[in-house]
Amino acid sequence: MSTSPSDATVRVAAAWYDGQTAASRPVSLSVEDGELLLSGSAGVTRWPLAEVHVSERLGNTPRLLTYAGGGHCEVNDQAGLDRLLAHAGVHRNWLDRLQHSLPWALAAVVLTVAVFAGSYRYLLPWGAEALSMRVPGTVLQKMGDSTLETLDRYMLKPSKLDAARQQRLSEEFARLHPPLDAQLQYRIVYRSSPMGPNAFALPDGTIVMLDELVELTEDDNEILAVLAHERGHVERRHAMRMVLQSSVVGLVLAWYVGDVSGLLATAPAIIMQAKYSRDMEREADIYAEQTMQANGMSPCLLVTILDKMEAAYREKEKKLHPQRETAQEDSTMDYLSSHPATKERAQLLCPRQ
Amino acid sequence: MKEGQRKLPFLLPPQVLAATVRPLREERYGEPDNTVKNERVTMQDQHGQQHRSFEFTGNGWEYFKIWIVNLLLSILTLGIYSAWAKVRRLQYFYRNTRIDGGSFDYHGQPKAILKGRLIAFGLLFGYNTALEFNPILGLVIGLVLAVVMPWLLMRSLQFKLYNSSYRGLRFGFAGDTRGAYRAFLLFPMLAGMTIYLLAPLAHQRIKQYQFENSRFGSSKFSFGASAKGFYLIYLSSVAVMAGSLLLVVALARMLGSGVAGAAGIATGMAAAGPLLILIMVIAVLVVGSLFSAYMQNLVWGSTGLGPHQFFSELSARRLMWVRVTNFLGVVLTLGLFTPFAAIRIARLKLESMGMAVSGDLSGFVADQQQQATAAGEEAAEMFDVDISF
Repeated sequence: MSTSPSDATVRVAAAWYDGQTAASRPVSLSVEDGELLLSGSAGVTRWPLAEVHVSERLGNTPRLLTYAGGGHCEVNDQAGLDRLLAHAGVHRNWLDRLQHSLPWALAAVVLTVAVFAGSYRYLLPWGAEALSMRVPGTVLQKMGDSTLETLDRYMLKPSKLDAARQQRLSEEFARLHPPLDAQLQYRIVYRSSPMGPNAFALPDGTIVMLDELVELTEDDNEILAVLAHERGHVERRHAMRMVLQSSVVGLVLAWYVGDVSGLLATAPAIIMQAKYSRDMEREADIYAEQTMQANGMSPCLLVTILDKMEAAYREKEKKLHPQRETAQEDSTMDYLSSHPATKERAQLLCPRQ
Repeated sequence: MKEGQRKLPFLLPPQVLAATVRPLREERYGEPDNTVKNERVTMQDQHGQQHRSFEFTGNGWEYFKIWIVNLLLSILTLGIYSAWAKVRRLQYFYRNTRIDGGSFDYHGQPKAILKGRLIAFGLLFGYNTALEFNPILGLVIGLVLAVVMPWLLMRSLQFKLYNSSYRGLRFGFAGDTRGAYRAFLLFPMLAGMTIYLLAPLAHQRIKQYQFENSRFGSSKFSFGASAKGFYLIYLSSVAVMAGSLLLVVALARMLGSGVAGAAGIATGMAAAGPLLILIMVIAVLVVGSLFSAYMQNLVWGSTGLGPHQFFSELSARRLMWVRVTNFLGVVLTLGLFTPFAAIRIARLKLESMGMAVSGDLSGFVADQQQQATAAGEEAAEMFDVDISF
């Protein structure tokens, strides 16, 4: 191509619509002296280039040159229009290039996956933790109250444990020195439930201890270890963080695959939340370990009671399904489970065992 | 209601009547494809009409590149960029849709869409938060939302249509507030109160409101589908669904025949759970596809624009095939197939539609009144709410 082609040499075929009727007129476009020339059978029309908006390239879709004074030209010849625009000093911008190159599309795939994975692994837990520390106490109180109310109505019964034992446990636990960073209020309530030996922490710092768990052991220290673990949940605001993290995961998944199927969004959400839950259990275990060590007690106490809980659940399972063999701890199930395998927790807390 | 039905044919120009009486189907199959391209032959059609099919020229790979770049930008900007991504998505689909040599275009401003989204998000967030902490305030906000919704939907229709164009002429929406409240609030409420016996009627009223108030330039759309057609589609869907439920129960009874009564059914269900679930999933797929295909055919088959009449012959079987393969594709690629799936669905749906054109499509003129009052400009400032009925 010659280095200085005359302005009239670059021509592109276009369809001109005047914006008043749906009729199209074939014209030939060229650029001259900062003006766009529309040459058709009825003569030449001139549009000042500054008043012409060129639509962005989108695949091979026709591009529009819209005149501020009314009307537009539709161009199907992408390469021709690019030459014409280059001629007029208009070049493709970075977004245009990104959207039409396969390497960049593949890079975008990799980056998108990386952003999702990074947000899931680091950003969301970090953000939820920071946010949960700023949630006002009254909000936590409301959430805790309404959760306990619901639990009391459907799953929990009043405790049958004698009041003296309840009080002794609570007092013994209150006497324990918390690790340095303990600063949140907690309270212990006693309940009974058919769901088996367990204990859990609510957003407002309420620790629910079930009779079935207390009855597993004669050694109060084992119960104190469980309470220390639950206080770890309170201290780290796990309940609030779980609410935040799981709702964000749920929202993102619903948005991402929601078009396809609601069911499809739920399954990965459960798997993804289970990982958060296991991470929090590990954090609470570490908190319990620190508490035990600060008070000259062995972290192995927690392992002892965890083993007893597991045995109790196995027993219950056997009663329900006598013919079924007791399931071995399956490492693949770890990804679905809300708690880390007891063996793994034991190794962390009590390596000598 | 009956009056409206009877009145409609007389409102339509004779050409439209001819188009509705004529067996569209036979003729389209009888004529070779080139009638669409060869204008001279079809011009001599005894009714003075030519059949023009919609064409869709979108391409999966091309759209994939646009989609992924915009998805990444939307994520990196915490969703703000999604308004720009939406405009681009609509433009890609509109500009790839052609009929009679002209293409469509979308002119929505990302900033208006972003504003609408922020307001909608704020309302929803406020509603949910209020519901959590003060049920009465939440209820009040919910009620206000319900009352405002028809007006919002009307505005969003105005926004959507005003920002759509074909051959440089804008579409428009002239529906009034009263009609919006009737279609979007009164009839759905009546449907709810009659245990959904009136749901097909409500659906018909919504479509009627949408189509009869739509404009292209200064030409009006007409909508002739009666509630009867809607009832037929709803009833057949319910019948297929009920049939497959009965089949499942019968199968379960067979499998659990050793045990008496309801316990037998339960045992059978437990034994053949996966199979029965599969049957139900297939039933839902079949019914969903039948419903969508018949609904599109009914709604577009009874829609006209000026003297021209639309037709739609979407096959439920093909729709189901595309949906199933799309679903598998999206699942197996963890979502990367999504843009391809969107292109496939759009192609199938659009290319089963067309127009019986009287004369030609270049005869439309802009709505002078709309331009003079700049009603569209005002609408363009308004919310963009996605409606999907």
